[in-house]
Amino acid sequence: MSIPNYLFPDILLLIFPFIVIGSRLFCSTQSKVPWRIANVGFIAIFILLNLIPLASGEGRLFISNWKIDDFGVLMREVLIISAILGMWLSKDYFEHSGERQQMHQIAEFIGAIAFATFGGFTVVSACDLLTFFLGLEMATIPMYALTAWNKKDQLGSEAATKYILMGSVATAFELFGFSYLYGFAGSLHFSEIQYAISNGTNPLLWVAVLFLFCGIGFKLTLFPFHTWAPDVYEGAPTPVTAVISVTSKATAIAFLVVLVFGPLAPIQEQIAPLIALLAGTTLFVGNLGALKQSRLRRFMAYSSIAQAGYIMVALLGPATMAKTAIIYYLFVYAVSNYLAFFVFGIIGHYREETFASLRGLSKQDVNLAIALAISMFSLAGIPPLAGFFGKFHLFFSGASTGHYAIVAFAVLNNVIALFYYIQLIKSAWVDEPEGNLSPIRLTKRQRNVVILLSVMVVALGILPFLSNNVFAGFSY
Amino acid sequence: METILFNQIWIIPLITVLACIPISASRAKLLRGIHTASASLVLAIVCFLTYRVYSMGAAPATDAANPLLLRFFIDIPWLSLFNAHYTVGADGLNMLLLALTAFIVWAGVLVSYNIKGNQKVFFALIQILATSVYGVYMSFDLVLFFVFYEMEALCMYLMIACYGSGRRDYGGKKLTLTLAFGSSMILATLFGLYFEGGVNSWSLMELSKVTFPMEFQMWAFPLMFMGFAVSSSLFPFHFWSPDGHSSAPTAVSMLAAGVMMKMGAYGCLRVAMFLMPEAAKFWLPYVVALLIFNVVLGPFIAIRHKDLKYITAYSSISHLGLIFLGLAAITPIGLRGASLQMISHGFLTGLFFATIGMIYERTHTRDITQMGGIMRKMPFLGVGFVLAGFAGLGLPGFSGFIAESTIFIGAFQQPSTLTRFVTILAILSITTTAVYILQTANRMLHGPLPQKYESLTDGCFREKLVIVVLVACLLFIGVCPGWISEMLDWSIAPIFEKFL
Repeated sequence: MSIPNYLFPDILLLIFPFIVIGSRLFCSTQSKVPWRIANVGFIAIFILLNLIPLASGEGRLFISNWKIDDFGVLMREVLIISAILGMWLSKDYFEHSGERQQMHQIAEFIGAIAFATFGGFTVVSACDLLTFFLGLEMATIPMYALTAWNKKDQLGSEAATKYILMGSVATAFELFGFSYLYGFAGSLHFSEIQYAISNGTNPLLWVAVLFLFCGIGFKLTLFPFHTWAPDVYEGAPTPVTAVISVTSKATAIAFLVVLVFGPLAPIQEQIAPLIALLAGTTLFVGNLGALKQSRLRRFMAYSSIAQAGYIMVALLGPATMAKTAIIYYLFVYAVSNYLAFFVFGIIGHYREETFASLRGLSKQDVNLAIALAISMFSLAGIPPLAGFFGKFHLFFSGASTGHYAIVAFAVLNNVIALFYYIQLIKSAWVDEPEGNLSPIRLTKRQRNVVILLSVMVVALGILPFLSNNVFAGFSY
Repeated sequence: METILFNQIWIIPLITVLACIPISASRAKLLRGIHTASASLVLAIVCFLTYRVYSMGAAPATDAANPLLLRFFIDIPWLSLFNAHYTVGADGLNMLLLALTAFIVWAGVLVSYNIKGNQKVFFALIQILATSVYGVYMSFDLVLFFVFYEMEALCMYLMIACYGSGRRDYGGKKLTLTLAFGSSMILATLFGLYFEGGVNSWSLMELSKVTFPMEFQMWAFPLMFMGFAVSSSLFPFHFWSPDGHSSAPTAVSMLAAGVMMKMGAYGCLRVAMFLMPEAAKFWLPYVVALLIFNVVLGPFIAIRHKDLKYITAYSSISHLGLIFLGLAAITPIGLRGASLQMISHGFLTGLFFATIGMIYERTHTRDITQMGGIMRKMPFLGVGFVLAGFAGLGLPGFSGFIAESTIFIGAFQQPSTLTRFVTILAILSITTTAVYILQTANRMLHGPLPQKYESLTDGCFREKLVIVVLVACLLFIGVCPGWISEMLDWSIAPIFEKFL
C-alpha cells in the first residue's frame, strides 16, 4: 500500500458511524443490525490497521498537517481495541437494562464511541495545534453525551454536568496555552514551534507549558485536577465508564506524548521535574484515594488515576523507549481494565456495584472470581500477568535517564496499590455473603469475552512474540 | 537431553494446572491423583539431575556461564525490548535448593488431601507457587529471576486467605504486602544495576564482571539486601512471618517457611553479595548487629508462645538468623554453612509444619496447653514432631548439627569482635532452643490425655510416608554431609572470589 492508502482506516472510521446511526432508520427497535454493522466496521478497521507495515518511516498528508507514523498506527490500534471492547460491553447494558428493550439505541451509542475514537486518531496524527485541538475536543465531547446517556438517572446527569463544566475549563486552559505557544513561535505547525523552542526560551513559553499541563491534567486526571473522575465514573453507565477510563485516558496521554516528544522536545530536560512531580503526586493521591472506597466504580476511578501517574513516569525517558512503554502499557491497561469492567457489569446487572455485592463470588462462580483476580493482580502489577511487564516498561523508561528517585517512589507506591486490589479480591474470595445471593448467570457471549480477555492478560506479558514482534522491530 | 529435562522442572507444574482446567472441581480424587503424580514426577527428575550435577563435580562449564560453573545452561533472548533473556542453569547450590523445593512441594501436595474448599483451585495455586520457587532457583537473568520471585504474591494471599485458619485474612495480607514491599525495593535496585552496569544485560554473569561505582553500591546494596532480608524475616522485617505462617494452611506454611524464606537468603548471597562485594564488606558487620534479635531473642519469644505454629515460626526466625550469620562472616566455611543451613532448615521446618498440620487436623487446636498425652494416641506423628525438634536444636546425626556448627566455625574465623560476640551468643542460644522444643514436646505429647481426644487415630499411610521421607532426608544430610558440602564448595567459590 502507498501512503494515501494508509488513510483507509481513518476514512472508514469517519464514515461508518453514519452508516450505523443511519441503519437505525430502517430497522425495528429490537433489531441487532446496527450492532452487527458496527462489529464488522470496527473489526475491519482493526484489520486494515494491522496491514500497515511498521518501521517504514512516517507519511504526511494534507499539506503535511496529518502524519501517519508507527506511534500513530499503534495508538490507533489501542483506541480501536478499546472501542470494540466498549461496544461489546454496551451490548449487555442495552440488552438487559430495565424492562424496556433499548437495543436500537445502541446505534447512537456506538456512533458516539466511534467519534471519540476518531478524535483520538486525530490527536495522534496532528502536526499543528489546530488539528491537535480539534482532535482533543472531538474525543471529549462525545464522552459528555455518553455520561448523561440515561437522562432519567440523577447521578448520571450530575456527573455529566460536572464533567462538562470541568472539561470546558480545561479546554479554556489549553486554548490559552496554545495561544501563548503560538505567540511564542509565530506558527501553529509543530516543527516550527520545535525549531523556535530549540533557538531559545522565554517566560512566555513557560506560561504556555504550565497552562497546557493544567489543561491536559484534567483530561488525564492528574493531581490536583483529578477530582471529577470519581463522580463521573460512578454516575455514568458501566460501558461509558470503561470507555472513559481507557479511550479518553489513551487520548490524553497520546496528547502529552505528541507534545513532549514533538514541539517541546528541546526542553524535555527542563520540564522533567514538572512531569516527575505530577507523576509522583498523582499516583500517590490515586493510591491513597482508592484505599477507603466501597463502591466499585469509584474504586476503579482512583485506581485509574494512579495508573495515569505510573504512565507519566515513562514520559521521563528518551522518545523511543517512552513511546514503546506507553503504548504497550495502554494495551495491557485496556485489556485488564475492560476485564474488570466486564465482571463488574455482569455483577452490576444483578446487584449493586459495591464491594459487598462481590461477596461469595468465588463460591457462586469460581471462573468469574478467577477472572476478577487476574484483572486485579494485573492492574496491581504482579508477574507473570501483563500488568507487571507494562509497569516494568514504564519504570524502565523512567530509570533509563537516571530518575531513580521517582521510579523507586512509584515502585514503593505499588505496595499500597496491591493492598487495595487485594481488598477487592478479598471481597470476592474470602468474605462470606450476607443472606441469600441472587444467582449470577452468564450468557455464552459474556463467558467467551471474559475468557478471551483473561487469556490475553496472562499471555500478553510472557509470550515474547506478542510484545516483541509487535513492538521491538520498529522505529518511531 | 538433561537440559530439556531441567527446563521441565518449572514447566510440568504449569502443564498440570492447564490439564486440570477441564476437570470438574467435584472430582477431587482425580485432581489429587494428577497433582500427586506431577509432583512426584518433578521430584524424580530433580533427584536424577541432582545426582548428575554431583557426579559432574567441579568440572569446567560452558564459557557463556563464566565465572559460575553452571550445568544445563541455556540462554535465549526473551523480551528484546529491555534485553531480558531466558537464562537458566544450575550449580550445586541451586540444584540442592531445587531438590529441597521438590521434596517440600511433593510433601505439601500429599498433606493437603483433606483441605476444605475448592480443591481444584487450591492445588492449581500450589503448583503455580511451586513454579515460582523453581523458577527463582533456576534463573540467572535478573528480570526472569524477579518475575518468578514476585509471582509468589499472586498465590500466597489467595491460599492463606481462602484456605487458612484463624486470622487468615489479616495474616495473608500482612505476609503478601510485606513481601511485596521487599520485592519493590529489589526492583528499584535492579534498574540501578542495569543502567549503572552499562553492559545492556540483566545476566548475573555479565553484571558480575562489572565493578559498580562505590557510591552506587553504598545505597544499592543495603536497599537490595533489605529487600531480600524481608522475605527471610531478618529483624526488623520479621513481623510478617509468625502471623502469616500460623494462619496459612499446612502446605503453604511448609512452602513458605521451608523454601520461600530461603529465596531471600539465596538472593542476598547470589545477587546482592555477588554483584556488590565492596559494599557488602562495609555493610555486613551492621547486619550482624541486627542478628542478635533474630538469633537470641527469637527462641525466647518462642518459649512464651502457646500456639504450635507461632513457636515454629519464631524458631524459623532464629534459624534464618543463623543463615545470615554465616553470610555475614564472609569466609568460605561461613558461606558453606549458610547454604547448608538453607537446605537443612528447609527439610526441618517442612517436617515441623507437616506434623503440626496433621496433629491440628485431628485435635482442631494448636494451643499446647489444651493438648496432652497425644503420644499415646498418635505415636507416629508424635515421634515425627520430636525428631523435627531434635533436628532443630542441632542434635548430632541430624542435618541441623552439621549446618549450625559449620556456621559457627565460619563466623568465628571472622576476626571482628562483634561477629565473634554474636557467634558466642548464638551458640548459647541453642540452649534456649532446646528449652522451648522440649517444653512443647513435653506438654503436647505426654501427660494426661484429655477426654475429647480418646477417639483420635494415628497418621495414615500417606502421612507416614511424608514423615519418613523428610526424616530420612534430615538424617541423610546429617550422617553423610560430605557430598553436599563438596557440591556447595565449588558452587560458592566464584562468589567468594569476588571478596578477595
